[in-house]
Amino acid sequence: MTTVSAAIIRERVKNIETTPSIPAVFLPLLKLLNAPPEDVRLEEVVKLVSYDNTIAAQCLRVASSPLFGLAKSPESIKGAVLTLGLRKVETILLTCCLGQAFPSRQWALDPAVFWRHSLGCAMVCRKFSEKIGAHDHDKAYMAGLLHDIGFAVNCQAFATEFGKAVKHALQEQIPLNEAEHDIMGFTHCESGRALAEKWHLADDIIQVIAYHHAPDLSHAAQPLVALVHLSDLLCRMRGLGYGYYERHKADLLHNPAWAVLQQGHRELENVDLVRFTFELDEAVGEVFALVMTIFGTTAA
Amino acid sequence: MITGAQTATTRIVPKVNEPVDPVFRQIRDLVYKVCGIFQLEEKLYLMADACGRRMKQVGIRTPREYWDLLTAHSSREAELRQLLNEITIGETCLFRSQPQLDALRKIILPELVQEKTKQVMKRLRIWSAGCSTGEESYTLAMNMLEESERLLKGWTVEILATDLNDRSVEAAKAGIYGDYALRSTTDYFKRKYFVPVDEKKLQVRPEVKKLVTFSRLNLQDDSRMLFMKGMDLVFCCNVLIYFDGPSKSKVIDHFFSNLNFGGYFFLGTSESLMKLNDNFHLVHFPGTIAYWKPSLKSGKL
Repeated sequence: MTTVSAAIIRERVKNIETTPSIPAVFLPLLKLLNAPPEDVRLEEVVKLVSYDNTIAAQCLRVASSPLFGLAKSPESIKGAVLTLGLRKVETILLTCCLGQAFPSRQWALDPAVFWRHSLGCAMVCRKFSEKIGAHDHDKAYMAGLLHDIGFAVNCQAFATEFGKAVKHALQEQIPLNEAEHDIMGFTHCESGRALAEKWHLADDIIQVIAYHHAPDLSHAAQPLVALVHLSDLLCRMRGLGYGYYERHKADLLHNPAWAVLQQGHRELENVDLVRFTFELDEAVGEVFALVMTIFGTTAA
Repeated sequence: MITGAQTATTRIVPKVNEPVDPVFRQIRDLVYKVCGIFQLEEKLYLMADACGRRMKQVGIRTPREYWDLLTAHSSREAELRQLLNEITIGETCLFRSQPQLDALRKIILPELVQEKTKQVMKRLRIWSAGCSTGEESYTLAMNMLEESERLLKGWTVEILATDLNDRSVEAAKAGIYGDYALRSTTDYFKRKYFVPVDEKKLQVRPEVKKLVTFSRLNLQDDSRMLFMKGMDLVFCCNVLIYFDGPSKSKVIDHFFSNLNFGGYFFLGTSESLMKLNDNFHLVHFPGTIAYWKPSLKSGKL
């Protein structure tokens, strides 16, 4: 096992070739996402979407997809934004921006599988957050969407080593983070953190990215980290994992993260986890369809 | 009678992708609350279909009227039972839940073997409780045989299969199945573990039968339940849904004591224990859920 120091990870992240090509709308968009929904102005969103041709086209395409069951396809960006609702536009924007930031050629992971897990986890985080009456469902959604961003970093900055780690995970049917640790000596949590710091993401999101596999180590935003940790496990157990069989048993109710969540949210006691699991199954198809729409037929 | 799923599309009420009357969603929630079996939104048309068949039989026209029948004090128990029969019809087949079998072979068996490796008797006891006509029991037997040269080399596997219904037990012993029951069985398993009896039917081979002991048992018979000791795995699919709260809870308590420490209890794929027993740990495996009796390893013993 090789030990890669934080300094080396930071250095490589700095040199990710494609980082400068992050769409210009990305950072303003992140700011927008961090604002309370009632403060978001529709015109601002329309402006942001129109700013980038690729993203504008992407939004129009998704808005016209059968998923939304519209009789008539929207012809303008404004129409698309109105049709989709802010929430979906955010999802599409963030996904497209990240997709552009990390071109999917030569990914060790199937990008469709990666986005499926990220979007799936975002969805589960939001539903979970609603279920327990947490105060910021959008934050939960964003945390879920970004928690595994380190995999995208590894695909770009550590392609060879990460390729080996993925192969090892598939062969041994073990979780990817364990395989990364075995082969690379660090995981997507560290590389994701380096990118998140470089991008000046909010501190709670950085905590999620860095500690979603070890929530007990986080020193801030613990309930959010715990929520993402549990949602990530649920996704991997219900068909929204990384596209291979993980020999993994999850006892969520006795997971320390469950206790952390319970401290702040008494409602958790009344959550029927089995029914919640079944309800999530219903949304799996939706996530597959969304990824299919955004990424076209390349989805495996 | 023809089995449900085969003919679902030709029946009354909604087809796939057609909007479903919201009353069926209410019925879905009622069925879950009372029986612990959950129908996914995308399978709601099957629930509507089952209700439709019942409505036809009792001469009711609207879903709302059927809801009244299901909730009226005088008729609710009997009608709910009839509806459950319709919902679970055609559910039994061999290899019904691949995620359960994967969890069993890839995760649980290695864990049990490792945990029991120091014991003198290398023996595994599995109970198929409410085995109906034997599909689940033989599926388990075949999967155990697949492991007999690897994980389970040198191990003795016993599968106890019980059902309340004598006729089911007799049919189970014969082990003869048609296309419908074999719809999820791969050619590999068909060739290896079955012999043809006629053009349409296959019978399980004697070496599979040898692993399974069938008998009649009432899960509510407390004195007999006490004797079912030393189980490593208990499977009880779509049986408890017919029990009322207190009897369900009693049977589950029995299962808990029937199991060895570190053993697992499986329900049907859309069933839930609904917090009826706090001793079991709910555990998630890829695509399936099980209930675990914690092992003593981490405890004080």
